[in-house]
Parts: sequence; structure tokens; C-alpha cells
Amino acid sequence: MSRKTKDRLTQAAVYGSAGLTVVILVLIIGFIVIRGLPGINLSFLTRSWEDETTYILLDTDLTEDAIQAGTIDELGVTLTEDETGLLVENLDSDSPLKSASNIQGDPFEVKTGDYITRATEEDNGQLRLRVERPGGGIVPMLVTTIYMILLSLLVAAPIGIFSAVYLIEYAKPGKIMTLIHFAIENLAGIPSIIYGLFGCLFFVRVCHFQYSLLAGALTLSIMLLPTIITTTEESLKAIPRTYRESSLGLGATKLQTVTKVVLPNALPGILVAVLLAMGRIVGESAALLLTAGTVASIPTALWGNAASGATLTIKMYTLMKEENDLTTACAIGIVLLVIVIVLNFASKMITKKLMSKKGE
Amino acid sequence: MEGTAMPKFTIKDLDLYYGDFKALNKINMEIPQKQIVAFIGPSGCGKSTFLKTLNRMNDLIEGVRIEGKVLLDNTDIYSDIDVIKLRQRVGMVFQQPNPFPMSIYDNVAYGPRIHGIKKKAQLDEIVERSLKQAAIWDEVKDRLKKNALGMSGGQQQRICIARALAVEPEVILMDEPTSALDPISTLKIEDLAVELKQKYTIVIVTHNMQQASRISDKTAFFLTGDVIEYGETSQIFNNPREKKTEEYITGRFG
Repeated sequence: MSRKTKDRLTQAAVYGSAGLTVVILVLIIGFIVIRGLPGINLSFLTRSWEDETTYILLDTDLTEDAIQAGTIDELGVTLTEDETGLLVENLDSDSPLKSASNIQGDPFEVKTGDYITRATEEDNGQLRLRVERPGGGIVPMLVTTIYMILLSLLVAAPIGIFSAVYLIEYAKPGKIMTLIHFAIENLAGIPSIIYGLFGCLFFVRVCHFQYSLLAGALTLSIMLLPTIITTTEESLKAIPRTYRESSLGLGATKLQTVTKVVLPNALPGILVAVLLAMGRIVGESAALLLTAGTVASIPTALWGNAASGATLTIKMYTLMKEENDLTTACAIGIVLLVIVIVLNFASKMITKKLMSKKGE
Repeated sequence: MEGTAMPKFTIKDLDLYYGDFKALNKINMEIPQKQIVAFIGPSGCGKSTFLKTLNRMNDLIEGVRIEGKVLLDNTDIYSDIDVIKLRQRVGMVFQQPNPFPMSIYDNVAYGPRIHGIKKKAQLDEIVERSLKQAAIWDEVKDRLKKNALGMSGGQQQRICIARALAVEPEVILMDEPTSALDPISTLKIEDLAVELKQKYTIVIVTHNMQQASRISDKTAFFLTGDVIEYGETSQIFNNPREKKTEEYITGRFG
């Protein structure tokens, strides 16, 4: 084989591999977008997952027969009838339905898009309405994901950043430091399901947090530590030694040098570490499956029964595994892709902005 | 006491080791007040190492061990002065201009701020005075809020000198301050050093023998960790006592 042919073949292999990668990426994203797009609409993004039924009580002279399709002036509402019931199409701003209360006496606001499926007169003259609010939206999973991000970072970011500062600025090279680095590197290599298993045994069972936000977030925090530490370490290492020397040479203490010179200059790197961590939280499923549960509602507590919540990825998993609902799973996939792209974009922008400020 | 016999620094039998390697060998020296003392010698002779013992910058290096005494105004700087306080009194200008990546104003105000000065008016005054002392005020007064890294190398070095002056030191150590600069910037820094010795004691390490002979009052010649000769600059350059000194300054090695 001539040298020229060899050269051409190698070139073809290299170009082909690069091209194949792009094709695969486009195929995956295309598949998700094409299958998921029909599932995306306003109510998918704004509604709760489960249908909700609420009974409300109204002080009114209206009889139950008066609740029917058309405009009801006294309630300031326009109803249309379909197979589910009476759809609230339009609500006046001063409609009594907006400031109604449920049978427990708690305030409940009827919104357009709700259905009124039954009206009954109570003995005391009040009118009782059954209001059904259709679900099918991803708001609970979105909120759970955001809670999970905030809570995990609240724990992992300070610990990770302080550890990196210790390792780079304070620790003396030696056996202990080698041991710590060895531990961090190995922590980074552990599959996330193992973290999940540990979280399930320790946080869920031993600590009695049950499947909860807290158990999930603490598990994720441990998982994120290696990433945050190593990324922060890199950005600290990149700070010229001369900055530290000149600060100390002016009579600054170690702490002053770290807080006034080192950390401000490492900030872009630290932010990137945090954004990378956010990306991992958004994409994580195995560890959360075993610690945070699969309930599709907004958690109302940190731990215990009311604290279980499914993130977007977990919901995707259960949709495919238990309901075989490809369209909705792909629709959530699109939302996830958008979030990840936004995070990447944000990290680029932040880095760029801080860099340009530096070199002005 | 000004200009009289009382030296600023007295160094007695100073040995310095990097691990097992002995980098400085029984150094004895007196550094007079308000004069410029130059250290010359070939690379690796210990002159920079010795300079750094004067404000304990060697403390930052792993495995450094020091024996002997360094007295600043008769106080032992390794036992009787807090290192923070010492570095406030003995400032340093480095080989590479190394301003912080912040505005010119913040660079100069850095020292006073870490030492607790918060009032804007007071800081303004210190910044202006220091930049004037460093002979760069006229060039930067209209762009104090600009990033110091945007200045030329020579300007950056004078900003670094202003930064060192802002904490009102008594001594300024300069570690080859012009080796990264062009000839015109070098001359400016040299003029500045001569100007500054009215108020400050200056110790300068230099590779440039013309520089030492132009600006210094006393010169020390270092070789492999020893001070071969220390005396009046004119005497060292015109009439060296030691053969090695003569060989070095006439360019036969180094």
C-alpha cells in the first residue's frame, strides 16, 4: 500500500468517526424531539401531574339547576359543556369562585381550565360544587428537581469548595494529602447506583428519612463532592503563585489572601464546578430512584411521608417502565435537554463575562 | 539616628538550608539605613534567597531551615516580630510585575485595606500619595478604575512599587525588579529607587552590574552561598579586594 493510500484511509477513518459521532447525536436528539414534541403544550408545562378534585361551598341564591353551560352573571363565569363536564372558560376578576373555600374551610381559587362536574344545594342554602382540575403536567417534577438542585448544592457546594481550599492552600504535601486525593478519585469512579444503595440503607432506613427530598439530596451531595472538589482545585491551581506571594508580602494573613485574592479569582472556575454539579443532579436517576421515591407531587416536607418526590428523570423512567408512555417520556426528555443546554450556556456566559472583566 | 552608625538590618552567621542543600553559608552583613544596597552574583548564588530571608518570604517554601540571626532595628525577625507585622515594615517588589487582576486603585489600596483602613477619603489619599511616590500618578490618575493588567510592564512594576509603598514600609526589597522590562522602563525604575532612598532603605538584587554601579551605595557580591565581598559600590567596582569579584565584574564568568 502506498503512503498516499495509507494517508487517505487514515483520513477517511478519522473524518468518518467524527462524522458518525455527530450523526448519532443528531439522531438521538431528533428522535426525542420528534416523539416528544406532540406531548408538549402549555398545560404540560403548567399543570400538576395528577387530576385534583375539590369540593367548594358558595354562599349564593342560585339553585343547582342554574349551574349549566352559558354565562352565569352572579358568579361571573362562563361555562361550556364537554364530555368531562362544565369547563370554566372565562372568569371575571371579581368572581366569587376565585375566593371560594373548600369544605375544610381553606381558601380555594377556581381557575380557567377547571371543570365543574356536579352542583348540589346544601341544607343551609349554600351551593356545593365539585371542581375537577385536570393534571397531565410536569410542574411537580420540575419543582422537585429544583428543590433537589438547591438542597444538594446547599450541602455539597460549601463542603466541596472548603475542602478544595484546604487541599490547595493549607494542606502540606505528604501521606495524608495523597490519601485524601486517592479517596476523592475513587469516590468519583463509583457508579451512582452504589451511592443510591448507600443512601437507601443509611439515610432512608437508618436515619428514618424515608424516601424523601432530604435522603435524595444528601445522597447526591456525597456523589457531587468529588466533581466539585476537583474542579475547584483546578481553578485554584490556575491562580498564579505570585498573587499569593505579593499578598503575603504586603503583610496579609493567609485567610485574607485566600478570601481577597485567591477565591475572587477562582470564582469562574468555582461557578463552572457548581453548574457541572447542577447538570449532574438534573440528569441523575439511579441514586434518586433508591432514595427520593417516585411520587408525582410536590414534596411538602424535607423528610418523612410527605417528602417523597420524583424528579423529571425519575418520572421518565416510571413512564416508560410502568405506563409505556413514550410520548410523555420524550416530552420530559425535551425539557431535560433544554435545561441542560441552558445550564451549559449560562456557564459559558458567566465565565466569559468574568474573564472579560478581569482583562479589561 | 538618621544616617548614623545604627544599621537597619544586622545579619549574624546566617545559614540557610533547602532540605539537605546548604544555600547560604555564614552570612554576616550590616545593611545601613536609607541607602541602596545591591546584591550581585551569578544565577543560583543565593542572592535572591538571602533577600527573601529579610522579610521571611522563604517561610512559604517547603523544607527551608534557617540558622543564625536577622535583626531589624536590633529585633530578631525570626523570633521577636510577628511575620505579618514584619512584612508590613519590609515590603517587596518582585521580578515579574505582578499586580492583582483588579483596578489600579484597588491594587494600591489592597495593603491599607487588609491592615484595616476602610475610610474612602483616607484610602484616596494613600493611593494618590503612593502613586505619586512611585512616579506613575500622572500616567494613571485618569484611569484609576481600569484594570492594572491593562498597563505596560514598566507601568505595572511602578504600580507594584506603589502598592508596596502604600503600607508605609521602612525597607523595600527589590528582587531583580527590572529584568522583565525594556531599557526606558528600567531607567525609570532606577531613578525611582534613587528618589525613594531619601525615605526608605532599599535592597536590590540585580543581574545587571551597570545597574548596581549606577544606583547603589553599597554592593555585595555573592558566589555559591557565600558573600565574597561587601563594601562601598565604588570600591567594589573600581578596586575589588577579592580576585573572584574582579573576575566577575570584568565579565570573566557568571
